[in-house]
Amino acid sequence: MQRNTPFGSYRDLLSRYLSPRLAPAALMGCCLLAATGLQLATPAIAGAFIDSASSGLPESGLIRLALLFLGTALFGQVANLLATLLSERIAWQATNELRIDLTRHLLSLDQTFHAHHLPGELIERVDGDVSALSTLLSAAAVDLFGSALLLCGLVVALWLVHATLGFVFGGFVILTAATLEAIRRRAVPLQTRSRAGSASYFGFVGEALDAAEDVRANAASTYVMARVRAHLASWMPFYVRAEVSGYAVWVAALVAFGIGDGLAYAFGAHLYLTHALSLGSVYTIVAYAALVAQPLGTLRQRLVELQGADAGIVRIQALFRERSTLEQGTAHIPHGPLAISFADVRFAYPNGQCSEAQSDRSALRCISFHVAAGRRLGVIGTTGAGKSTIARLVMRLYDPQEGSVQLAGIDLRSLRLAELRAKIGYATQEVQIFRASLRDNLTLFDPAARDDDLLARLEALGLGQWLARQPDGLSTQISSAALSAGEAQLISLLRVYHKDPPVVLLDEISSRLDPATEAALDRALEYLLKDRTAIVIAHRPWTLEHMDDILVLAKGQVVEFGERSVLAMNPQTHFSRFRRTAFREVRG
Amino acid sequence: MARSALSPAKFVQALIRTEPLAYTGTALAWIVWNIWPLVPGILAKWFFDALSGHAPFGLTVPAVVALLFASGIARAGMMRAASHTGVPMRFRMRSSMQVNIIARILDLPGARALTHSVGEAISTLRDDAEAGALAADWPYDALAGCLFASGGLAILLSVNARLTALVFLPLTLLLVLANLARSRLIHARERSRQATANVAGAVGEIFHALQAIQAAGAEEQLVAHLRNLGGDRQRAMVRDVVQGALFDAAFHYTMNLGAGLVLLLAASAMRDGTFTVGDFALFAAYLMQVADFMGFVGYLIGSYQQSSVSFGRMTELLQGAPPETLVRPAPLVQVQDRAAMQQEREDPLDLLTVRGLTHIAPGGRGIMQASFNLRRGTLTVVTGGLGSGKTTLLRSLLGLLPASGEILWNGRLVEDPGDFMRPPRVAYVPQVPALLSGTLAQTIRMGLDVEERALTRAADSAVLQDDIAMMEQGWETQIGTGGMRLSGGQVQRVATARALLRLPDLLLLDDVSSALDQETERRLFAKVLRPGGTYLVVTSSAFLLRQADSVIWLEDGCIVAAGSLDFLKQHGLPCR
Repeated sequence: MQRNTPFGSYRDLLSRYLSPRLAPAALMGCCLLAATGLQLATPAIAGAFIDSASSGLPESGLIRLALLFLGTALFGQVANLLATLLSERIAWQATNELRIDLTRHLLSLDQTFHAHHLPGELIERVDGDVSALSTLLSAAAVDLFGSALLLCGLVVALWLVHATLGFVFGGFVILTAATLEAIRRRAVPLQTRSRAGSASYFGFVGEALDAAEDVRANAASTYVMARVRAHLASWMPFYVRAEVSGYAVWVAALVAFGIGDGLAYAFGAHLYLTHALSLGSVYTIVAYAALVAQPLGTLRQRLVELQGADAGIVRIQALFRERSTLEQGTAHIPHGPLAISFADVRFAYPNGQCSEAQSDRSALRCISFHVAAGRRLGVIGTTGAGKSTIARLVMRLYDPQEGSVQLAGIDLRSLRLAELRAKIGYATQEVQIFRASLRDNLTLFDPAARDDDLLARLEALGLGQWLARQPDGLSTQISSAALSAGEAQLISLLRVYHKDPPVVLLDEISSRLDPATEAALDRALEYLLKDRTAIVIAHRPWTLEHMDDILVLAKGQVVEFGERSVLAMNPQTHFSRFRRTAFREVRG
Repeated sequence: MARSALSPAKFVQALIRTEPLAYTGTALAWIVWNIWPLVPGILAKWFFDALSGHAPFGLTVPAVVALLFASGIARAGMMRAASHTGVPMRFRMRSSMQVNIIARILDLPGARALTHSVGEAISTLRDDAEAGALAADWPYDALAGCLFASGGLAILLSVNARLTALVFLPLTLLLVLANLARSRLIHARERSRQATANVAGAVGEIFHALQAIQAAGAEEQLVAHLRNLGGDRQRAMVRDVVQGALFDAAFHYTMNLGAGLVLLLAASAMRDGTFTVGDFALFAAYLMQVADFMGFVGYLIGSYQQSSVSFGRMTELLQGAPPETLVRPAPLVQVQDRAAMQQEREDPLDLLTVRGLTHIAPGGRGIMQASFNLRRGTLTVVTGGLGSGKTTLLRSLLGLLPASGEILWNGRLVEDPGDFMRPPRVAYVPQVPALLSGTLAQTIRMGLDVEERALTRAADSAVLQDDIAMMEQGWETQIGTGGMRLSGGQVQRVATARALLRLPDLLLLDDVSSALDQETERRLFAKVLRPGGTYLVVTSSAFLLRQADSVIWLEDGCIVAAGSLDFLKQHGLPCR
């Protein structure tokens, strides 16, 4: 935000994404040079024609000039077309790369960032802003550069006709460019605000469309539409001011063009009447002045787009400056099953203004426990007791404010994040499904995935019949609308096993399964958890029978922790009470 | 194929009718602006004629130069005027189309509301609505084009009729060319739009699924997926743009061909003085204008074709609503966002009868011939295996899915369940509730104007009070995108409170306790299920099955048994 000059911020982006494409860019530059030269030649040929006609050159000479005119124009167009093709290609390649880098960067940011940015807003930035930049790059190449080239060429050509003219027009072009840039720069903050309005409007619309069914079921469409309108109403004044300021550049360009044209006529008349120039040369001057309109007009149009891209670049760079709040270490994780331990961990979610004095609002309050390598820990407790928080901390979606979470005895903060997450399989009850094939959904687009392995795994989980019902097997295109919540849950579980991780975290994964599937899953669990360290958060009792240890949480504190068999033997433990209610209920 | 039944012209007509005044003003300013380029050509002719000593109307050289200065500045003023009325108008037109589409989507039965991903829908709302609003420029641009062409032609004819006719030959050829290129342009445009929508859709899904991607460590795999889609878009886009550029180049070159012809044909006339340098300047200036003009016509044709694609896509989002819906006036005035609850309940529920309710999803699954009764004051539990159709049953009953069969409310046929089975008659808590960002109070109210007390009561019944007490801002806590800052269990209970606040005759709960521990689950059901209320609940919770007056057992979309739990057990059904 601090730098208002666009050129400083462009330099970084341009050099990063254009430097790998220097050869095609150079070729494009040659095409533009040729096109410009040929374009400048045509008025000179017409001027020569006028002088030749009035001086009585024979018809054959005139025809030769006319044919020269036609050939020049043809090659000019061809060169221009080639430049367009090259610049489009360069621009799309460069911005595709930028989009990829930005997506990768955003994917590396943690929840503290994403909790405050709607997906709709990020779509608008990664797609809308980057696309605006792509328009700029393709346009900048051919049009901005080409127009600037033509303007310089015009000044040189005029200087060749008459030195004074060259100086006057050179000054005129510089003055005009400076004025346009000043007007343009004034519009940038307006554009930024307008695009911010656009992002928050589309962010809300995206959310409302996601919730379409709930809106309808609660007869709340009036309410949602009122909020849509309120977003539009607050965006509109910024949009209008930003757009009108864009037109202001155009208006300024027109005034400048009018003045330039008038200057050419005035000078031409003066030079002709003082017999310094022929009539044909006056025609050439006037035609050149008329040519100024075109690059100035193009510059104007592209500068309007530049305004959009400017705001976009400011925002893209702001995104690139966002850093994950999670510091990364360098230590490596040993092979084989891994132990997990929590030592005096205190944690509160970062959205609140949690101070030391309000530690009762913490999600976890001074938690310590140890899960030895290869053991399975079941976590139970009431809603809001902090069970899911434990999994999130192991996953390092957040860092604890106090204490330490360790994997194989190493604090998570000294491990490489990617390595940590590669070692852990994590399934929650929130499942996101992609509009893609079942295979890509199961493997999250892993190109190395083999169908045999997938099929074997599905079979082992008792899902062979379910797969047989899918019309195209693994290639069936799925979407969240076409799946039941239980099926989505199974997919999330299969994603975990596709990774084959030494550590597994399951956060109430059976919550959306019906009893029959849950029972099948129960049988599969033994296979799934084999030789892995596991933390399983559950509120159904059957799953817990597979556990070695049990942790009972209440209000962010450990109220009970021990071996399952020991806890189960003592009827006074929380765990025993939990089992009794659970099983009594089932048996009726 | 994205093609609308209505021609773009009809849409544009309706759009204009919503803004008669602003439109007329903008149109006038742009028309003058568009025909203005005829002026400098005449001034150029007068200039060269004055230089060679036979100026019309006794104009001196300085006078002509002064006129040239003035003309440029006048044209700039015209644009300033046009932008002042045109920009707000375009925003309003675009917004009204967006508002109409969103309102329609929210009005459709749930499963049909969106056939595309949200990202794709947003891409259409953003880009196609813009293209549609731009199409409203078409009538005056076309009119200005006609005026410009006929005016220019008349002036040229008066100067030299023979040359004019010869130069116009290539123009006719051009129009033929334009028609030939037409079908290719629209095709390329549609493909590039589709590729763009695919990228937008993928970007949207990636950010929606962010946590899952991070947890799975699949960042690079998704980036590769995005890279593939980006490559497709690049190819489609380059083809689209280059085709357009080729089109332009052909236009421009044909115009240069015209200019070359003037030079060839005027050579002898210029030598004998019947064709002056002033005349040549006029011809040359107008030929430059004609090139621009043909570009303008090309743009008009292109934008008309593109707008038909855009209107087509927007109509598609309307999903069967009459296309006129898109361009209904939708002024941006603030409307009341709160609706008072209907206090008068006409025809409170005594008996809901369902007969032969059937919904078959595209994949062949669904529910078949479901028939059952719900009596006032009873609790009915729906249960069954994975994918057995429990949720589908509820959604069909609510009209969120299109279904055949009959639903009778106190013996009277419900014509449109989607419209009828809504609060205050029926409320529904889905399995995976979607919450709208805002404060907790806003989320639960969703625009319902009730007293604070009612809100507290609903929260209390949904076992939310302790949670709210724990939150620093209490009722004013921002819940984040889609309730991101709430736990899974809290989301379900917030949605339950939202339904309870509407005091429905019949409450449908779809597995609302899935993220709750048993203790909270029991407390929730104890408070929600009040004696005298009517409930249809999907659950696999054993204690609710025992408590139910009636249990509906589903298998593969069919009701295989219905009755009390004891009855079902006696008949040996698979009951845990």
